Amino acid sequence: MDLFLQYLVNGAVTGSTYVLVAVGLTLIFGILGVVNFAHGEFYMIGGYAGIFAVTAMNLPLLPAIVFVLAVAACVGLAAEAILHRPMKDRDATSSIVSSFGLAVALQNAALIVMGPQPQRLNLDASKMPLLSELPTEFGPVFLPHQRMLIPLTMVALIGALYAVLRYTWTGRSLRAMAQHSTVARLCGVRVDRVAMVTFATGAALAGIAGMLMSSVFLVYPIVGNMIALKAFTVVILGGMGNVIGAAVAGLLLGVIESLTSAYVSNSTRDIVGFVIVIGVLLFLPNGLFGKSVGRS
Amino acid sequence: MTRLSRRSFLTAAGVSLATPYIARAQSNAPIKVGGMLPMSGAASIEGRQVLLGLQFAVEEINAKGGLLDRKIELVIEDDESNSTKGVTAVRRLIERDKVPFIVGTYASAVVVAAVKVAAEYKVPMLSGGSTAAAGTDQNTPGDPWFFRSWPDSNKQGEDTAKAIVEKFKKTKVAIIHDNTNYGVTLADQVTRVVTAVGGVIVSRDSFNAGEQDFSSMLTKVRTLRPEAVYIGGWAGDGANIVRQAAEIGLRAQFVGSGSMLSDDFIKLAGPASEGFAVATVFEPSTPNPVGRAFADRFRARFNQDANTFSSIGFDSTSIGLEAMRRVGRPDGQEIQKMIRGGMKDFALAQGPAGTTAAFNEKGSVDFPDFIAVIKDGKRRLEV
Amino acid sequence: MKMSICALPVIAGLAIAPLGLGGYELSVLMTILFYVILTLGLDLVTGYCGQFSFATGAFYGIGAYTAAIMSRDLGTSIWWHLPAGALVAGSFGLLLGIPALRLTGHFLAIVTIAFQTIMYLAISQWTSFTGGQVGLHVESAGKLAVFGTTLFELGSLRSYYWLTLGVTTVCVLAAWRLVNSRLGKEWVAIRDDETLASAIGLNTTRGKLTAFVAYAALAGIAGVLTAHSLRGVTPDDFTIWISATVVAMMMLGGRGTFIGPIIGAVVLAIVPEFLGRYAEYKMLIYGTILVIGMTLVPEGVIGRLRRSASR
Repeated sequence: MDLFLQYLVNGAVTGSTYVLVAVGLTLIFGILGVVNFAHGEFYMIGGYAGIFAVTAMNLPLLPAIVFVLAVAACVGLAAEAILHRPMKDRDATSSIVSSFGLAVALQNAALIVMGPQPQRLNLDASKMPLLSELPTEFGPVFLPHQRMLIPLTMVALIGALYAVLRYTWTGRSLRAMAQHSTVARLCGVRVDRVAMVTFATGAALAGIAGMLMSSVFLVYPIVGNMIALKAFTVVILGGMGNVIGAAVAGLLLGVIESLTSAYVSNSTRDIVGFVIVIGVLLFLPNGLFGKSVGRS
Repeated sequence: MTRLSRRSFLTAAGVSLATPYIARAQSNAPIKVGGMLPMSGAASIEGRQVLLGLQFAVEEINAKGGLLDRKIELVIEDDESNSTKGVTAVRRLIERDKVPFIVGTYASAVVVAAVKVAAEYKVPMLSGGSTAAAGTDQNTPGDPWFFRSWPDSNKQGEDTAKAIVEKFKKTKVAIIHDNTNYGVTLADQVTRVVTAVGGVIVSRDSFNAGEQDFSSMLTKVRTLRPEAVYIGGWAGDGANIVRQAAEIGLRAQFVGSGSMLSDDFIKLAGPASEGFAVATVFEPSTPNPVGRAFADRFRARFNQDANTFSSIGFDSTSIGLEAMRRVGRPDGQEIQKMIRGGMKDFALAQGPAGTTAAFNEKGSVDFPDFIAVIKDGKRRLEV
Repeated sequence: MKMSICALPVIAGLAIAPLGLGGYELSVLMTILFYVILTLGLDLVTGYCGQFSFATGAFYGIGAYTAAIMSRDLGTSIWWHLPAGALVAGSFGLLLGIPALRLTGHFLAIVTIAFQTIMYLAISQWTSFTGGQVGLHVESAGKLAVFGTTLFELGSLRSYYWLTLGVTTVCVLAAWRLVNSRLGKEWVAIRDDETLASAIGLNTTRGKLTAFVAYAALAGIAGVLTAHSLRGVTPDDFTIWISATVVAMMMLGGRGTFIGPIIGAVVLAIVPEFLGRYAEYKMLIYGTILVIGMTLVPEGVIGRLRRSASR
């Protein structure tokens, strides 16, 4: 039982990164209809930007996070100009292929610039104000500060995002776009701005995930591949375009993987998500939380 | 269109007319030797480190005035760790560049496909990092075309297992390995030998190379209270595992596979790397004077420490070049004969002092691995 | 008709090519032919029928492993492997076609990625059956014998090239017949408007499943040819990178056209041969080509030419 709780917590930590990456992905898809295979690269760039901010610029944690948010948002804007603006009014296939191309190009640019060796962000979370005062042992469960930071940030950012979507004008125009882009346009929503905001937000969330994870795990040029595939799994399970669905499904996938690794076998953890996704899609083609959408 | 094709026809005719002159001029042209390594894709990390060894060996020969009164030119092909690509690359090196031998490659699966083709052309291959037994096992005993100047993964697994049980005196061993050919064969061999010399395997887990989160797997391993944990795989994953194990309080003697130990590893794993041990064929602090001299020259040239990969590339290339010098001409078949039996006096940078290119009938050189341990954040050889 | 007039000299040229070319060039030509089969297959399911797939590498691998395992366990020759590879891969294609009945573009893309990943893990980890990461050895193709009389030795590179060329030609012809048949028209109808297609009484289930089967079977055949050409199979030759490369070849050439994907395959298979010295930048260039290509000519080069010609 004690171990089971520990597995749950381990899963929630990795699940939190899935949430951060998947929420951006699902926003970009839900609002703009772009299937972004380069989303994992936002994560990768966030990781490198974090290392640069902390080691080369000697920034403390909060300014470093702001720096990473800014860098990732800029990359997101650039991606919008490449993946969305020239592709408007085309089917998703175009964005699938060109975002795939962008992913390959970014990975190999990183390989040339940053080198192939994995790197790690040396961030000592135990010296951080506020955070360091929290306990690291909760009954039988052990959670180092470094890891604790991830679900905390996730909850803060997703909460903020939810509030923005719910209560601000920008948020309303984003949701209006997602519901019906033509009508939204008629009502005065500026589509170009919405597209830019969406991409910048999605990239920033993934970038933060990459930065936080590079202090727990490692960052290297192709690190985004697996995380992007996982995020896609989450997005489908949560229902394409559904932010809350993605948040729940992300945590769920993290926990399921952790339990699979502990009780089944570690090497099947990477496919368990895929198996679930195939099963779910066969019976619920719109995901666990998706609404049925008419087509044609 | 017509004019264009006529011009290209004329060019083609011109080339064929000029061929005899080119052939004559070639006596002073550089001798090309082949290198085939993964330069793109995931394995390019290792491929590029091996490449430094190849380039260094050729540079040194050219600095001494070349070979057979000619300069040496290294022609590199990228095999992308893909067999189809590797087979094409071998044909290109042999047919286009007329190389008398090829140093390559890193991925054992590509070696197996490529050496079949190279052998048909009578051009020997020297391993560019491939360590799996599969590479030399497919050789016809007594007539190998694939040469590896260090022991295969089975020998490495055996030496590692013996070190765990006999040197570190740890009998309860947990095994963690990645799902690559390299990780699986090592884990199999360690399992076999640990059991044979009186140890017990308490658990065996595998992971997919590049996986990031090991916390739940390690939590489970901790409950089994192993005295030693063996990790078979690449350095990045190894460092990740060692550090996450320390985080969750799994204390044991950690032992890794040969290519893991590097300064990068120490940097990535941090203080958790203390006490980490590997069985390896080369260390810059090697007691082998040839290896030591190589490490010093390498450091002076590249301003970085030589490692297992660069020493492997250097030795394989040096053996090929020396064999060609002894034969007296760039002839693949003669070079293969020379490597097979005529190089028993040629000293290698790898292995203990006195290791030479004495290939056995399967095309492998056998010597005991070193055990290297991290102490006070530095790599130390346990002799 | 026009197509066969254009195709004949090309095939004739390819047939006499070995007389003037060395092993390296033949090796490159053979790689191109493998990609032509793969890309054409993908074009059937994606270009004509509108069902996206990232699983080409998986079917390619299934074909190759069918050959390797049959040759190991049954000692059969390539003449059995070709139909068997097509059959086994086609059956898996049917399996993957089932989710396609309910899912649209991007959802399907993800399911095919999942299928590709699961297939790769199955091949690389079911060691007792597939040889695991080490892979399996495959005997070279042997000979074509009728009633014990040898007609054609396939051991040499040159004759194996001819075999590959022959099989490729058959595949191309079969694909040509398919897209011009009633079935092919049904595929296009499904691609253009599925609701309309079923409204006018077309059997969209049959249409989608046949497209998937044809696609997978072609990839399986390419796999059998590759296994015998390499005289061995390993899991790493059938990764998602193959799938992605084939998607790129089809998209840049022009999906939904017949000749476009073939040209795409030829060009993208040859380009890396000239980038040899710039290996480091190879994938960067490749990715950039994809992005620029999709931005400037989303319908592919041939698709664009055709559109401007019809104006």
